[in-house]
Amino acid sequence: MTAVLEQHAPATTTTTPPAPHRRRLRSDRRAVKVSAWIAIVVFGGFALLPVYWLLATSLTPRTQVFSYPPRLFPSEITFDAYAALAANPALFGYLRNSIVVSVITAVLSVIVSAYMGYAFSKFRYRGRRSLMYFVLASQMFPQALLLITLYAVFSAYGLLNTYTALVLSFTTFTLPLCVWMLKGFFDTIPDELIEAARVDGASRLRIIHSIVMPLAAPGLVAAGLFAFVRGWNDFIFALTLAGPDKQTLPPGLVNTFIGEASTAWPELMAASLVVSLPVAIAFIALQRYLVGGLTAGAVKG
Amino acid sequence: MTEAISSSQKTTGAKPRRLSDGMFAFLLTVPGLALLLAVVVYPLITALVTAFFRQSLVTPGREFVGLQNIVDVLQGDFFRLLGQTLVFTLGTTIAPFVIGFGLALALSTKIRGTKVLRGVMLIPWLIPGVVVSFLWMWIFNANYGVMNALLEGVGLIDRPQAWLAHPTTAMIAVIVAKTWQSFPWMMVMLLAGLQTVPHELHEAAEIDGAGTVRRFFSITVPQMRGIIGLVLLLEFIWNFQHFDIIYVLTGGGPAGATQTFATAVYETAFTGFDLGHAGAIGLLWMILLLGLVVVYVRFSERGEKR
Repeated sequence: MTAVLEQHAPATTTTTPPAPHRRRLRSDRRAVKVSAWIAIVVFGGFALLPVYWLLATSLTPRTQVFSYPPRLFPSEITFDAYAALAANPALFGYLRNSIVVSVITAVLSVIVSAYMGYAFSKFRYRGRRSLMYFVLASQMFPQALLLITLYAVFSAYGLLNTYTALVLSFTTFTLPLCVWMLKGFFDTIPDELIEAARVDGASRLRIIHSIVMPLAAPGLVAAGLFAFVRGWNDFIFALTLAGPDKQTLPPGLVNTFIGEASTAWPELMAASLVVSLPVAIAFIALQRYLVGGLTAGAVKG
Repeated sequence: MTEAISSSQKTTGAKPRRLSDGMFAFLLTVPGLALLLAVVVYPLITALVTAFFRQSLVTPGREFVGLQNIVDVLQGDFFRLLGQTLVFTLGTTIAPFVIGFGLALALSTKIRGTKVLRGVMLIPWLIPGVVVSFLWMWIFNANYGVMNALLEGVGLIDRPQAWLAHPTTAMIAVIVAKTWQSFPWMMVMLLAGLQTVPHELHEAAEIDGAGTVRRFFSITVPQMRGIIGLVLLLEFIWNFQHFDIIYVLTGGGPAGATQTFATAVYETAFTGFDLGHAGAIGLLWMILLLGLVVVYVRFSERGEKR
């Protein structure tokens, strides 16, 4: 009660001070508020109604899904679709592949990028800027084009349909983002700290491993999570470089559900929700680092 | 200097430093560089080189054909692909920008609950591209789709449409699906940008009698020039090579109407097994893309003056 009153109080006082344009400003403010609400309702509806539909369909009995017009609110709720997923061993195979490949990609990317990011952040040498922008630009090349020869290369080394091929190809997009994110983190570590350790006689490698990395631990975790998510979401590399037994969930779901005579929509929507869940959890954990990661290209728009 | 002194003084057990700092730093970057050379630079160059050969994905050997593949592509699909890629890219850059900016402005007003809304609006962006395609495939479904029911309900269409089966509506569908996935990113970036606009400017202009619209175009937009340019450029580059949503939602169809450079290169190489022509499309595509990447790197350099 009191909280509500207090919140209203400043709003009424701001309109009282005498000013030449008071009347116009007041109607102006109302127009702003009204258009803000319109924007929130219209765009918010666009944002959230599909999410509702995803959830609602996954809980609708299969018999009700195939009717037109569709029921906006299912008359009964069922978890049959989720049960059907749990009974499908192929999906667990895809899930295992997704977890293995995404985790290894994240760990490898963070280790390699940590050294590179540190070199970019704390040393000044010839060619540093060119290397930095080469790394930045390397994520701008289309995957479809790289695949033309990546496929042949992995084939020549007998790596098609292996986790190795997936992990290596995923680093094409995780490495640049991790390097730039981690460089940003290392930039915030004061040079004096490193200088002090140097004066104390610590070797350069020792400084990296015992001083810089522990300080940058939150950054390492954040970069790793971003890499995990990007690997988890990848479609084109996993679709092309791996067969059904090594494929990750995105192409796995396409193989399982799309192209059949009548798609099992409740199951597909349920699977979609389950696949999205780890990403959502990772992002909630990453909130603090979002804007930094955004500009480093961690999260594509 | 200091380093040389300290290392010469510590003679007991400590190894003298033979590597210069520059060399040491370069060595730190070697694993990463090696990886990028192996999985980006080498494939990219060899992919572009295939443009000059007749080469198949499945049979070994190749034959030099000069510019033949490029001529074929230019006389064939190229300009249709370019047009479709531009329609998709512009649509999926402008629509999320408008929605994202609208929401960013609305959510930076003094309306209660904006903090929660900011979080909730991010949901579409947390959903993997493949799932975005599944969801919109279901929404646009010709027989049971909720889009038909919705538009019929408000009287915009008089009977259900097969959205994904007609060239124009299929293109609209992929743009809508991609827009839905990317507007939250625009919103977050532009919200961050709005925070950087000094509040005093707005207050001063308000005292001078400038209305909201006037202040938006004379203060907000000029102050946010940098971030607006960055988000439009990045979104354009990403969408110019977007693959997942188009490939799953329409497969480039109907009759190639939603085919872009990305899906065309992929189909030519992995369905048609024709690496030469795929490389030729890729080469022309890269030339266009390279211009954009150069602009982006310049842009980033300006932000990173160190």
